[in-house]
Amino acid sequence: MFSENPFAALSADVSPAVMQAYVVAMIVLVAAGTLFDIWHKKSGRYFFRNWRTARAAGRKPIGGGKMVSLAIQTIVVDWLASGEFCSARRRIAHLLGMYGFLAYAIATAAMVFFYPTPDVPTPAIWPLLWHIGALLICIGGYWFWFFIRVDVSAEGNSPWRIARADLFVLSLVISATLALFWSWAQSAGSEWTVLCFSLYLIATTVLFAGVPWSKFSHMFYKPAAAFQKRVAVANGSRANLPLPADKPETFGSARTAPRHY
Amino acid sequence: MGLFSRHRTVFTDCDILVVGGGMAGCGATYESRYWGRDLKIVCVEKANIERSGAVAQGLYAINCYMGMQWNENRPEDHVRYARNDLMGLVREDLGYDIARHVDSTVHKFEEWGLPIMRDPATGRYQREGKWQIMIHGESYKPIVAEAARKAATKVYNRIMVTHLLMDAAKPNRVAGAVGFNVRTGDFHVFRAKAVIVSAGGASHIFKPRAVGEGMGRTWYAPWSSASAYALPILAGAKMMQMENRIVLTRFKDGYGPVGAYFLHLKTYTQNAYGEDYEQRWFDKLRETIGEYVDRHPVPTCLRNHAFLEEVKAGRGPIRMVTKEAFQDPHKETVGWENFLGMTVGQAVVWASQNIDPKHTNPELTTSEPYVMGSHATCSGAWASGPSDYAPAEYQWGYNRMMTVEGLFGAGDTIGGTAHKFSSGSFTEGRIAGKAAVNYVNDLRDQPQISEAEYEGLKKTVYQPLETYAVGRNEIVAGTVSPSYILPIHGLQRLEKIMDEYVGGISTGYTTNEPMLARGLELLGMLREDLAHVGAEDLHQLQRTWELQHRVLASEAVTRHTLYRTETRWPGYYYRADHPKLDDANWHCFTLSRFDRNTGEWTLEKAPVYHIVD
Amino acid sequence: MPTFVYMTACDGCGYCVDICPSDIMHIDTTYRRALNIEPNFCWECYSCVKACPQHAIDVRGYADFAPLGHSVRVLREEKKGTISWKIRFRDGREKDFVSPIRTTPWGSIKSPADYEAPAKDAYRAQELAHEPEALHVESLPSLSPDRFKRSAA
Repeated sequence: MFSENPFAALSADVSPAVMQAYVVAMIVLVAAGTLFDIWHKKSGRYFFRNWRTARAAGRKPIGGGKMVSLAIQTIVVDWLASGEFCSARRRIAHLLGMYGFLAYAIATAAMVFFYPTPDVPTPAIWPLLWHIGALLICIGGYWFWFFIRVDVSAEGNSPWRIARADLFVLSLVISATLALFWSWAQSAGSEWTVLCFSLYLIATTVLFAGVPWSKFSHMFYKPAAAFQKRVAVANGSRANLPLPADKPETFGSARTAPRHY
Repeated sequence: MGLFSRHRTVFTDCDILVVGGGMAGCGATYESRYWGRDLKIVCVEKANIERSGAVAQGLYAINCYMGMQWNENRPEDHVRYARNDLMGLVREDLGYDIARHVDSTVHKFEEWGLPIMRDPATGRYQREGKWQIMIHGESYKPIVAEAARKAATKVYNRIMVTHLLMDAAKPNRVAGAVGFNVRTGDFHVFRAKAVIVSAGGASHIFKPRAVGEGMGRTWYAPWSSASAYALPILAGAKMMQMENRIVLTRFKDGYGPVGAYFLHLKTYTQNAYGEDYEQRWFDKLRETIGEYVDRHPVPTCLRNHAFLEEVKAGRGPIRMVTKEAFQDPHKETVGWENFLGMTVGQAVVWASQNIDPKHTNPELTTSEPYVMGSHATCSGAWASGPSDYAPAEYQWGYNRMMTVEGLFGAGDTIGGTAHKFSSGSFTEGRIAGKAAVNYVNDLRDQPQISEAEYEGLKKTVYQPLETYAVGRNEIVAGTVSPSYILPIHGLQRLEKIMDEYVGGISTGYTTNEPMLARGLELLGMLREDLAHVGAEDLHQLQRTWELQHRVLASEAVTRHTLYRTETRWPGYYYRADHPKLDDANWHCFTLSRFDRNTGEWTLEKAPVYHIVD
Repeated sequence: MPTFVYMTACDGCGYCVDICPSDIMHIDTTYRRALNIEPNFCWECYSCVKACPQHAIDVRGYADFAPLGHSVRVLREEKKGTISWKIRFRDGREKDFVSPIRTTPWGSIKSPADYEAPAKDAYRAQELAHEPEALHVESLPSLSPDRFKRSAA
């Protein structure tokens, strides 16, 4: 299963052109959904207004070189390493989900566009990445869903409670789960293959079409906000926060996980 | 809370149950462990012990410290001070008991890591006033909570105790408590040999001055929901001096503290025309309170009275003269840090209105009334005193035990112990803790809880969730239903009743018998309506039970106010039909007892014993 | 001055939910980020503000009486044992303050159980734990019962 390209097998019933059109449509939905969200909520205007206020409140100007350096730090630390998370397990779960999704998405695109039929043999790396990616999404996603989700862990809600905030993570983790089920069913020649694929298609469509209503777009907003925060620290405005005290760290910490009930 | 689950019942057995993890509860937990090495000591707290209670944001001063090591004060001096401030009526035996122990509490606080300011000249604790020392107390509560966590067998956070359980075998003896977990929705049944109630006193029983968002800026914490009173009242414990509500003169809107200003910065008040105004009103007070007007220092309520009269005469607003003091940079720092370590909201108010005390003399106001037991006031449970010297009428076995066997109290819960503040409350917790350990060790038979009782209470506790869920079907949406009220509705009705009939701000803190009688009628209807409070979720369920406790405490306050036919504390409240202080008939305590089976209240007088000077 | 949460800064960790003494910091069901569900029960105690690792919580004074444009922000640094405040007035004036919050390491308090167990006769005596040593005087003060006189009423 892990070394088989599921899309190549699928091409018997669904033409590569349709598969490719679907992938393009999903990408367009993400872009359109995000842009619509920004326009509709006027969050773009807010972002730039905030940018201007922070710049005006700055105590020292920042040169172009410094800006580039801050951007690189944002990309490397805040994005690639998910550095903004304050708790280790939240960070790890996010890294699993993020890299899982990247691997899975890139492998999907590679297989659908370059190896959509059994005629051209698929290099082993792509199905491997695809399956591992889906698996990582499931590990990070289910761990998050049942144990890390703040409304469950800190607020005490049932893990079976579903709210609008769950649209993204739930559709993502279900989509990845169904992807694995479909791949297994197909490679085993199971009678459940069509059902699995249909459900997988639905979950995936919900994931991408739900962008205007879900947290999907955080992948764009969060890095932008992280960059803005770095700029605010660099230019001295620090969002009106006081400067850190000039004292050594000799007292240790009392912080334990926020789950005291 | 589970989507489809019934509410699980969790049983916990312990020797000593400490209800409420504030200053007093942490003291009780700590001391119980010291004396009860092998005992199971459980502390149960409605919020998170790390920041729960009135000391959540910290304190800038410890207002009860004798300084015996430097011969600064003796315990009997503090008793006289408290007695004087409360117009003669305090439990002097209990007050002495706290005052003689409080220094060791404060020294332990310092040892644990509380930064206490030192006078650079003498090396002693920096005094703010005769009884007060200055601290950098932003983390006062986390430090004290750490001590309690080290001591407890277990600390339960986010469990609101709604009722005490009584012994099924022996009448008038406590057997534990029940409550619900605000996060999981579980029902908790605690079986205990001794229970120490160290919960919060009463804020939000009188209508506050700000009624929008500003409702949150009460002087005393909004989460002090009178559980300190309701739990013992329902258990049949006698309560004392519930009429003795406190009104505070504080900075306008933010209710920021004035103690450091008066004592350390040496500021003073003036009316709107820059005049001193107090003396003319003190002179006039001789007509109603007689020679009490000659007492020094001037009792808190009388300073309020002068303030109120001056404002009524149309010469407000009253301001605190700070411009002089704030020219000194050290005093300016103290003035601001005083807020930041204790009432950040006041700094916010001044920042928002561009008030810099260096250039403006800020406005003062008198607050709405509160009922609690640790400040310049002492409502609370009637408790047994220390065995080495308390008068025979004041002792019935174990120190700080109420009139219900096995039920102890500390902090705002206990009446008659004014001016103990944070350190005194922790100290009283220690006193109760040691006494409870002795009680447990002496106990020959285990109290028995009744399944019928706790199963019945379980139904009662969760009823508001059911009320909402079912009643919600009647209306389309919104907050208006003909068959249930939300907790906030009940709270606002309570606050309006107390305000209009029992001496709140809208009547200038004045009431009379016809008003009080009408207040009781309306409270009666409110109490009936409490059976129809609808709670949408666990948070609202907590608000419901806070309301229940507040209403019961308010009824006690109203009945005590009716019973005492004199005006003992002008400036706190006035009985317009009995405007004078009447020592001949009322130099005594008022006690009440509520019988939960018959619903009857009995009120009586109890003698005051003074330390012979 | 109730609290509010900055959208882009909150990452939904739950420290504020865990610490709030009023049980009013909860999680929004659309964004899974924190929010103050009951500003009229907010004491502005700043417990959540201090607890937030992302500095995502701030305070806007109660609308009943606090005009806009002010800012009172805090940095509580447990490891350094300090708390730092920056006050910004509506008219732009600023004031900064730094204070100590603790003099000993977090977690260093000695459990009462780690002290030598009290002697049997100490149980009935009036001295509490660590007394009389911790009083810093020779002995615990006491009174004799005849010091009390009953009032007439």
